[in-house]
Amino acid sequence: MGSFAGAGIALRPDELRRIAENLGRDPSVVELHAFDAQWSEHCSYKSSRHLLRALPTSGPAVVLGPSEDSGILHFGEHNGERYGIVVAHESHNHPSQVVPFEGAATGIGGIVRDVVCMGAEVIAVADPLRFGRIVPGSHQRYVAQSVVDGIGAYGNAIGVPNLAGDVYFDEGFDDNCLVNVVALGLVKEAEIVHSYAPRNADGWDIVLVGKATDASGFGGASFSSVTLDAADEESNKGAVQVPDPFLKNVLMRASYRVFALLREKKITAGFKDLGAGGIMGCSAEICSAGGYGAQIDLERVNVAIDGLPPEVVAIGETQERFIWALPPEITAAVLHIYNEEFTLPQIAHNARAVVIGKMTAEKRYVMREAGNVVMDVDIDFLTGSIRDDLPHHEIATPEPSYGRPLVTGMPFGEVLERVLAHHDVASREPLYRRYDRAVRGRTVVARGEGDAGVLAPISGSKLGMAVAVAGNPRYGGIDPRLAAEHAVYESVRSVCAVGARPTGLTDCLNFGNPRKPEHYGELVAAIAGLATAAREFEMPFVSGNVSLYNESAGGKAVPASPVVACVGTLSDISCVVTMSLKQPGSVLYLIGHPQGALGGSVVLDVLGRHDRTLPRIAYEPVQRQHDFLWQAMQSRLVRSAHRVSNGGLIVAVCEMAFSTMHCGHTGIGVQIDDPWQWTHGALGELEALFNEAGGFAVEVAAKDVDAFEGLADNVDGVYEIGVTVEHPVLSLRNEAFDLSHLYDVWRRPLAEVYP
Amino acid sequence: MSHRIAVLVFPGTNSEEETARLLLECGGDAHIVHWSKASTLPHFDAYVLPGGFAYEDRIRAGAIAAHDETMDHVIEGAALGKLVLGICNGAQILLEAGLVPGRGELRRPTAAFTRNGPVPHFVCMRTHMKLVIDPARSPITAALPKGALIPAWVGHGEGRLAAHESELRALAENDHIALVYAHADGRVDASAVPNGSALGAAALVNTAGNVFAVMPHAERDGWTYNHPDRRRGDDMLAPSGGAVLFRSFVRGVGGR
Repeated sequence: MGSFAGAGIALRPDELRRIAENLGRDPSVVELHAFDAQWSEHCSYKSSRHLLRALPTSGPAVVLGPSEDSGILHFGEHNGERYGIVVAHESHNHPSQVVPFEGAATGIGGIVRDVVCMGAEVIAVADPLRFGRIVPGSHQRYVAQSVVDGIGAYGNAIGVPNLAGDVYFDEGFDDNCLVNVVALGLVKEAEIVHSYAPRNADGWDIVLVGKATDASGFGGASFSSVTLDAADEESNKGAVQVPDPFLKNVLMRASYRVFALLREKKITAGFKDLGAGGIMGCSAEICSAGGYGAQIDLERVNVAIDGLPPEVVAIGETQERFIWALPPEITAAVLHIYNEEFTLPQIAHNARAVVIGKMTAEKRYVMREAGNVVMDVDIDFLTGSIRDDLPHHEIATPEPSYGRPLVTGMPFGEVLERVLAHHDVASREPLYRRYDRAVRGRTVVARGEGDAGVLAPISGSKLGMAVAVAGNPRYGGIDPRLAAEHAVYESVRSVCAVGARPTGLTDCLNFGNPRKPEHYGELVAAIAGLATAAREFEMPFVSGNVSLYNESAGGKAVPASPVVACVGTLSDISCVVTMSLKQPGSVLYLIGHPQGALGGSVVLDVLGRHDRTLPRIAYEPVQRQHDFLWQAMQSRLVRSAHRVSNGGLIVAVCEMAFSTMHCGHTGIGVQIDDPWQWTHGALGELEALFNEAGGFAVEVAAKDVDAFEGLADNVDGVYEIGVTVEHPVLSLRNEAFDLSHLYDVWRRPLAEVYP
Repeated sequence: MSHRIAVLVFPGTNSEEETARLLLECGGDAHIVHWSKASTLPHFDAYVLPGGFAYEDRIRAGAIAAHDETMDHVIEGAALGKLVLGICNGAQILLEAGLVPGRGELRRPTAAFTRNGPVPHFVCMRTHMKLVIDPARSPITAALPKGALIPAWVGHGEGRLAAHESELRALAENDHIALVYAHADGRVDASAVPNGSALGAAALVNTAGNVFAVMPHAERDGWTYNHPDRRRGDDMLAPSGGAVLFRSFVRGVGGR
């Protein structure tokens, strides 16, 4: 395995032999690098594609499943036109570990291109992040700070709001951070642009657009497909791309103008993002997907410096570039938009749109430099699917062990404070305040105001789009299958908590080296878990990404990290629900079954205990709870709502109260009934208050209680748990805790990391 | 005859769409004009410089844009008394161009919106602005009630008003500080200021009153659906909240 890694080639000897056999000769240097990129795990999904077939990808809401750069979900209709939400999810883990600011920024830049190239307007991004332990002075802390700054710098500059995200801190990420990025776009379903050339495109122009090609990002695809070695840090930096959000801002706007031109002229063209594999990868895929070959002339590529080797020009992953497949009669007008109207050459050194080749009926991929053929291969062999069947260990779900209720000598108040100050619970506001969350003027629920971010993306329409992400690494370290199920459940639950109907999913699977059977087994188990949960919720996956080799040279892999994003629709944004308590005198309910299983919970972590029993998901009652909540919200019976997640019910209730305490407000308090009463003695107090099994805390105005309880009549798992009160105090039994103190405890930990 | 408003786009501007949309919905005849069409600017009656990162904020926010051709036309128009509104990056450009407060030479700024303090990071959060000048001081604020409280979002890394102490005194004495940061209930104190801005300043106006530079984005809290305190019976799609500033501007320009 990887025996040529020292020479910068990730292809294995058997793969090299296959290539030579197909060519009938030794590959040229350019061909060698081309296959190295195309056949890397990053591009080919060779060890995961066949597993991913288990995921449901169809359904009434699917406009485009996982086949192109992004998937598309049906969103709704406005003025007789159907709109879709373009969904893309990607990781930029390796680059972010090596150069965190640039690596993370490039992650946003890349995922945004995947959405733009579907003909869509980019409307939001989200960022699930996983960092190591961030003790002061540590490299992990530097990574955690720089990644956030990189995401902010890029997203803020291009003017796309950051609508959702999450962050976890775990020693399993000390050597490999995870930077996952989600981007969402809005497109009329009749105006989707595809990542392939349409029929009768023989002789069409292949147009390269964007930044001048330089030496950055050479070998990026294969770099992402090997484990990180600290000794290679310097050479790895060369594989990382250099982001330019300023140029991207202009490129996006110019591309929107090109979309308008093509609509006006009723021309169907192909458009694709240049990601892994650079000019070669993108042009080969856009042509082969349409059933064509290509002739590319490398000399026509706009380069930043002269004298670059042909393999670097052909395969390097310089950022901020796209490729168009255009009928020749429109090419001049498109070049004019980029080069004259949006003045690309004046925006960045030698940036421009330029014709670099032609599409051919003959299905060969031919590349020339200075008249010499440097690459001549069967295009389907280059881009076709390859498959690695790897051995894997069966990963079984640990046997549940339900023992006696948890007891501790620690006073309740101290347990609560430690849970609130836990890095996976503490306020995320210091982090996301560095992200623009309101640009474009369409934000309805900003990050932190509800469990999902909500936009009103269509002018003049009351349709709302919701998005949330999830994926708990404390679960992943115990049971990848249940962790994956919970990632789906939590993302769906978060979308439900704002009053939206979930419509579809996207995933990013972050795992260790697949050539180790124990890690490959984790991937196999997690995909099975995703499939189970998606089928139960009747929710399709429309796009996704696999990131393997998240492992240090010492062989330490990240905890199994299936990360899921869920997209949902509100038919009327006036039914949206936020998490902040609205008034004193309301009744608080728990919707959902509390469970005794505390495995992977924050409370066990702060008490230093261990248990491998994760909460189970009883899909049928959960579905009914979600339906009930939606009906109650449609009937306007719910004033505020917050999903139960990290830290459990008591944290959810505290956060609903904390949301009322911003900007010098004194805030609303809560009085929680003795859990012994509302669980009817079924659970211990710590289990009832700190379990993370799921569900929602909701606020119902006193006047609406009868209607709410009437609607809840046939729903299993609705508990009255307390009331809201005028003073900012949390009361439980005969104890009272000052909420403004608890707010400080909750606010401080990440404020120290992100001042 | 309708009065045409140009919403200017510099390379790097990112808020032109929502700014133009809100102006339109507030009755203005707004048109987005890209930098490559700058020569058409003399045909417009008013200019709005929206938010973003013009020329990547190289050197200082607004410093390069202040010197480009687009700003030649804005400077000419301002001298003719045309109304000019700069928001966030647009406000930074107006200060760098010397149009606001307009107490010195053109393109020799006497005050700047500079790196936030005490923490020098980009900050994005909800805020409120309070009108602290007589509304009649500027045609842009003339339709606002006295002491108006305007909801908005801040989203900037360089929004702290900085100037020499004597200049700050002059800004205060001559009613150049038009809006200050405030809490949701209208209270004004240091804890309401998100960026360390001198005098708590959120917006400045020039001596003549026709050029207005405001850091927070009122257009991002410009429709009912943007407000956290929206009520269910409200018309979610109506301009409201921060839209008052845009209505007042449009009225000043001579729209509806």
